[in-house]
Amino acid sequence: MEAGGDREHQARSYLEKHRIMQLLNHLTSTLLFFQPEKPRDYLIAILERLRLAKVTGVAFPFFMDNSNIVAMFEIMDTSGKGSISFVQYKEALKTLGLCTADEVLKDDGHSITLEKFRHEVHLNGAKMQKGRV
Amino acid sequence: MDATSAPHLIPPEMPQYGEANHIFEMMQNLLEQLLIYQPQDPIPFMIEHLSRDNDNVPKIVILGPPASGKTTIAMWLCKHLNSNLLTMENLIEKEFSHLASEAKNHYQKFKKVPSTLLVRLIHERLKDEDYIKRGWILDGIPETREQALMIQTLGIMPRHVIVLSAPDTVLIERNVGKRIDPRTGEIYHTTFDWPPEPEIQDRLAMPEGISEMETAQKLLEYHRNIVRILPCYPKILKVISSDQPCVDVFYQALTYVQTNHRSNAPFTPRVLLCGPVGSGKSLQAALLAQKYGLVNVCCGQLLKGAVADRSNLGELIRPFFEKDMAVPDSIIMKVLTHRLKEQDCVQKGWVLHGFPRDLDQAHLLDSLGHKPNRVFFLNVPLDSVIERLTLRRTDPVTGERYHLMCKPPPTMEIQARLLQNPKDAEEQVKLKMDLFYRNSAELEEFYVDAITINADQDPYTVFEYIESGIINPLPKKIF
Repeated sequence: MEAGGDREHQARSYLEKHRIMQLLNHLTSTLLFFQPEKPRDYLIAILERLRLAKVTGVAFPFFMDNSNIVAMFEIMDTSGKGSISFVQYKEALKTLGLCTADEVLKDDGHSITLEKFRHEVHLNGAKMQKGRV
Repeated sequence: MDATSAPHLIPPEMPQYGEANHIFEMMQNLLEQLLIYQPQDPIPFMIEHLSRDNDNVPKIVILGPPASGKTTIAMWLCKHLNSNLLTMENLIEKEFSHLASEAKNHYQKFKKVPSTLLVRLIHERLKDEDYIKRGWILDGIPETREQALMIQTLGIMPRHVIVLSAPDTVLIERNVGKRIDPRTGEIYHTTFDWPPEPEIQDRLAMPEGISEMETAQKLLEYHRNIVRILPCYPKILKVISSDQPCVDVFYQALTYVQTNHRSNAPFTPRVLLCGPVGSGKSLQAALLAQKYGLVNVCCGQLLKGAVADRSNLGELIRPFFEKDMAVPDSIIMKVLTHRLKEQDCVQKGWVLHGFPRDLDQAHLLDSLGHKPNRVFFLNVPLDSVIERLTLRRTDPVTGERYHLMCKPPPTMEIQARLLQNPKDAEEQVKLKMDLFYRNSAELEEFYVDAITINADQDPYTVFEYIESGIINPLPKKIF
């Protein structure tokens, strides 16, 4: 059934292009974390802020702020040497929903330090917002 | 960071919140709409969808052969659910629509409307504000598989499809007596449904096309088409026999339409079994624990276990056991919360029985955050309970438990030495039943969504009822 396969393919590429799944995951996690009395109104408020953020170009306050990034880094860096391996870094980005499983990240041979990790998280976050065309 | 090396400890409030507010279903609907319409700008679309809040609005299709009572049922459902009815006639009659007048001309010439035109009419009508807010009921559409598929490609999916069925002979007979009131459009029958008021009786007109030959023709065509339409709606279909009184058909249709379908939402059962002594709570709890991996929490056993362990709480409880007095609520709550907070209970779910016994205990349980999401009341009449309990015997040598009626001891030798537990004496049982029934009315009021089950049957039947109560979503109140 070529027609069916084509529409499915179309639907999947739509999801990819607008990063819908990451957005929905983020919305569901915020809902379950903050547990507002009126979930619909809360979701509408978040989406409005997202829309404004895109229009005005202001950075959207992400789920993970600075202290969370530092905490995450320290959990991964068990030996305390100040840097994490490339594999750990990739897994972390996947957990945060900031990159898909197939994306190839460049491995420049050096291990990732805290500064670089923080920078990359912010960069990917901004990319994700802009990517939501 | 792996979930496998350090299991994520999800606080129990999160799944409770998710279940109570149906978060999963809401997100699923949102994703469905996004995929159907694939808007260029998803965020404003999502905002609009969420503010409409029409996930639970009725979207029903009623199909059936001529004279099966489709229109009657559709109109009743409409009135009851406060929704909008769509039939072939009122689609064509719509004013100010170019498509509608085109369709009307076609119908007057050929007695049929071409499928593409019909589907476009429906699409146009369903975009109307009122239909979005109050839902819709389609009566007799789609007529062919072609129409069904076209409606689906436009993204219009009903949530419930009802198909009425009856033997052909009944239908042909019924159709001959059909009469219509030209003013209200209601359908009456010369034998089964004659209107009481004489003014209506005078007005009634015979519709065209109800002779036996014509009905038989229409039936042939219906049978040819319906076989191909049914596979289009696999999981949401229900066939109701319309060869019964109208009221019965109506109530079956109404209950079906008000149930939600099983969703894929993650669900950890937290089951509460309430019932008098001898109703089978422990047995059902053991069966549930075995089949679904839930943790069997029996209040009495917990307390006895605490005493046997000689823990701190156990020392507190022991004097009450020795004096044969009821243990105070606060101590029971401490033991219970300690058990229910443990990781295996939170992750796998639990089955609780033997507690709460009255309203205060229920309030206490609630306030500590351990709300059950399914509550069952097992009803048994007093005589059955007496029969079940007073015939229980234990063999002091082997420890085996017997029941003189249901599981008698194999040899006379064993029967001679059987002993009865003094708690199973008739007076004791009657006392305990009285105690339970004094408090049960309040408990039933407190647990609004409880399901009552007749526990006076064999254990596996009762088990199946409990299972279906857990697996199916809780019935929703009328929208």
